[in-house]
Formats: sequence, structure tokens, C-alpha cells
Amino acid sequence: MGTQKREQWSHRFGYLMVVAGAMVGAGNIWRLPYVTGENGGGAFLVAYFVLLYLIAVPGLMAETGLGRYTRRGVIGTFRAVYGNSRLVGLGLAIVIFNIILMSYYSSIVGWSIYYAAHALIGTFTQPDLDPGELWSYFSASPMLQVSMHTLAMLILAGILLMGIKGGIERAAKYMMPFLFVSLVAITIRGLTLPGAMAGLEFSFSPDWTYLAKGSTWLAALGQALFSTGLGWGIALTLGSYLGRNDDIPLGGGVFTAVGNTSFGLLAIFAVFPIVFAFGMSPSSGSQLAFVALASAFGSMPGGYLWGVLFFVSFLFANVTTAMAITEVGVTTYSEERDISRAPAVLTICGIIWVLGIPSAVDARVLGYLDFAVGNWGLPLATLFVMITAGWKFDAHRLRVLNINRGANIYVPRFWESFIRYVIPLIMMGIIAVFFFNSFHETPWKTLSGIGGLMVIIVVSVAIMSRIEHAGPNSTTPGEPTS
Amino acid sequence: MSISAIIVMLASIVALWGVAIWALVYTLRQEERKQSLIASQGGFECYSPRAFRDLERYLEKGSTTEAHLGEFQESRREQLESLQRYEARLYH
Repeated sequence: MGTQKREQWSHRFGYLMVVAGAMVGAGNIWRLPYVTGENGGGAFLVAYFVLLYLIAVPGLMAETGLGRYTRRGVIGTFRAVYGNSRLVGLGLAIVIFNIILMSYYSSIVGWSIYYAAHALIGTFTQPDLDPGELWSYFSASPMLQVSMHTLAMLILAGILLMGIKGGIERAAKYMMPFLFVSLVAITIRGLTLPGAMAGLEFSFSPDWTYLAKGSTWLAALGQALFSTGLGWGIALTLGSYLGRNDDIPLGGGVFTAVGNTSFGLLAIFAVFPIVFAFGMSPSSGSQLAFVALASAFGSMPGGYLWGVLFFVSFLFANVTTAMAITEVGVTTYSEERDISRAPAVLTICGIIWVLGIPSAVDARVLGYLDFAVGNWGLPLATLFVMITAGWKFDAHRLRVLNINRGANIYVPRFWESFIRYVIPLIMMGIIAVFFFNSFHETPWKTLSGIGGLMVIIVVSVAIMSRIEHAGPNSTTPGEPTS
Repeated sequence: MSISAIIVMLASIVALWGVAIWALVYTLRQEERKQSLIASQGGFECYSPRAFRDLERYLEKGSTTEAHLGEFQESRREQLESLQRYEARLYH
């Protein structure tokens, strides 16, 4: 297996833009500003920063380090660590979670394509436009939704077909700086609007009593974990294309986590001053981006330009995230089947396209999958990756041999405790809390969601158990496969 | 805006943008340094003195399992060779 020559990032800046782009997605722009304001403003940010530095930064170092050590995708990494064991199936389960995640995230990319196109043709500056009606019409049209989902997958397949350097890296090198410059420009415009300061007051004004609430810490934890994509196999896959002497701690850990959140902070500055300046209620998700902001851009002087900048940036943020999620499946499939990149891209994108049709047709499917994968699938993936890195591979071995090799900053010994104890315990806690909270409100939805994920894990383990014992790919546990 | 909101806003800017910009600039500069060392002398040492001490300490303690002993020794050998071969250092 794995006879294909492995590509490497052509430049450090390219890798950094790819990892930042992978983590900066819709959640940073349409969720973080609202969650911050709703959970005590500054108090939420304090909780968030604490968790970001304590969990996301060390966790991303471990995941990236594991990928660089094995120079393999998710399944190959699990095989390198566990040998020809049925536990390699946990790697397959993580890949399947990513494919399911991408099946509905593709719809969100499709929404942003539709709105970027409308911004470009000047729809939002039409005097008789009702953005609420436009959103209702669009979201109720299965044909439009499936068309946008299809277009999203075609764009992604096109980028991924061009390879790691020529596709993903090149796209991120242009898209991320554009996103940054656009958000800065929108921020400057937004802050010069009368009444804009109320938006900043909403987001930053601290209510310290929120720090004593469990819900604030839970929201901060959810944002820190989901926004950085810790343990989903993305950092592992992207790290597998690093060179042996490339830095991990500063680029793969600190910059990935903090840079990602920096875009979230920029979104707070860019979004809520405009929302408040136009007297709109703060909101999140599609209502914020596609209704409130679309309406605000239509009313602003020079609204065409600001609309184009915002919606094209939003599209870029989603595309860079989507290509990284899809790459998890592409890299793994290409290695496991020992095929070249092009058929792997077409197969994985084809599977995602088919699986994504129900989410595109019916938003309830999208909501259900997000509920199951977001609440338990991804935290389980994080748990598997951290236990693999911390215990089976051994956090000490990972740090001494690999993380500190070619590193721009020294990672001290206490890092190992975070990988072995802190992150796994927190992940188990968050899975339990999500379960009890959801079980009270929607017992059948909760049980069916968890049941579905358990089936995926059991079937994955059974499949890999069969393959590992039948195949010729004998691997000694703990040794790199290349 | 209230004073407390301004303080939180400025602290957030330092904690996020300050750190992110520092990380970006520092890692890109280090990368340039690595590239220039490769161009001028063919390579550089893999571990900082502190990181190398960890590696040696681990081998001295003999706490690694037989299966992983080889890779620790290989990394140590690689580091010692690079320290001998390359005059200019990446880590000071």
C-alpha cells in the first residue's frame, strides 16, 4: 500500500493558510459573534481563551505530530499505531464521520455560492428586495438546493484534482488573504456607521457572573473544539504532508488554533457593528448572514461592494474548510486502495454528492445529521485520536521524538498530561453532557443518533478487522509505514 | 462603549491577533533560516539543545521499550552527526 509518491507543501505560508482555512468556516463568521454576545460577552471570551490554549493548542500539536510521524492518512495512521488490529476500524469510522459531515456542509457551501452570485449581480442593492423572502424561496426550492450542492461538489472536486500543492495550497494562499482583507475592510466600514459601537458593546461587554455558569463553559468548550476541528483527522491529514524537519508546535498548534479564532474575532468586528447600526436584532446562522446582513448591505452606501466582499469571503471561508474535510477521505482512500489522486477525488466527491442530496432537499435531514455528528460523532473522533496519540503511541514518545523535532518553540513535559488526561476526560464529559441534555428534550432523536453512530463504529471495526487479517499489509505497531 | 468592554476588546486583540501575528511572522522567519541553512551548508540540526536533552535523558533512563529503542537511537545519531557536520546552528 502507499506506493504513490507523497506530495509535500511547497511553502510554509501555504501550509499555514491551508490549516487556517480548514478551521475558519461558517461557524467563525455566523456563530461566534452571537454565541459571545449571548453568553456574557467578555466573560465568554475569557472562558474561550482558557480552553483554546489549554485544549485546542496542545491537542492540535498532537494530531499534527501523529500525521507527520506516520506520513499517512487516518486509517494508515491507525494501522501504524495499532498494527493489523481491528482498532484500525476506528480510523475508518473517523473517515466516515468526515464524509457525513461533508455531505451536509456541502449544502452550506452551496448556500454561500448562491449568495455570492447574488451579491455579484447586485441583487442585494435592488430597492424592492426582501432578503427574508429570497431566503425563504431559496431554502424551499429543492431544485435550487440540489443544484448548489452539486456546484459546490464540482468546485471542490476541481480544486482537489489539482493536488495538494497545485490545488489545496494554491487555493488557500489566495482565498485566506482575501478573506482577511475583506473582513478588515468591512470592519472599517461597519465601525464608521452611526450606532456601530452598540454591536461591540453587545459582544465585548463582560458579565462576569456568566463565568460561574456551566453553560458558559460548555458553550466555550463547544466553540473551541468545533471551531478548531480538533481530532477530526483534518490536522492529522494535513500534517502528513509536512516534511520531517518542519515545525509543528507553532504552526500546527498555536497558529492553527489562535489564527482560526482571530478570524472569529475579526468577524465580531465586521458583523455586529453593521447589524446594530441598522437596528436589527442580533442573531446567528443563516438568519444573520443571508437575511440580516443581506438587508444591511442593501441599505448601505456602496452596498454592492460590501455585499460582494462579505459573501465572496464567506464562500471562501466555507470552500477552504470543505476542501480540508474532503481531503481526509481523499488521502485515506487513495492510500488504502493504492490508486492515484484523481480517481480517489472523484470517488469521494461522488459519494459525498450522493449522500448530500437528502440534506440539500430537506433541511431537517441536515439538522439531524448535524445533531448526531456534531454532538457525538466528532467528539468521539477527537477522543479516539487523543487516546491513540496519548496512550497507544505514547505522548512522551510523540513529544520527544517528533513534536520537538524542527520545532520553532520547545514543548515541555506537562503537555503530555493534557494529551493523556485532560483532553480525553473533557471529551468524555462533553459527550455525556450532550447526551443528558439532548435525551431530556428529544429522547428518540438522541437514541437514534447515537445508535446510528455506534452502528458505524461497529461496522467499521468489523470491516477493518476482516481486511487487516486477510490482507498482506502487515505492519508492526508503532512504526511508521513509510 | 463601557470601559470594561474596551478592556476586554483590547485584551482579546492582544491574546488573539497579537499571538497569531507573532506566530505567523516567527515561524515564517524560522522557515527562511532553515532554507538558508540548507542552501549554505546542506542542512541543520533537528533538535534544540533542550529537546535533545530530553531525548538523551530518555535513552539514559532506558525507559523506552525495545520496539521503540531503535528510533530514539536513530534520532540521537542523526542529531550528533548534524552537530558535527554543520557549523552554523538553527538553535542557539
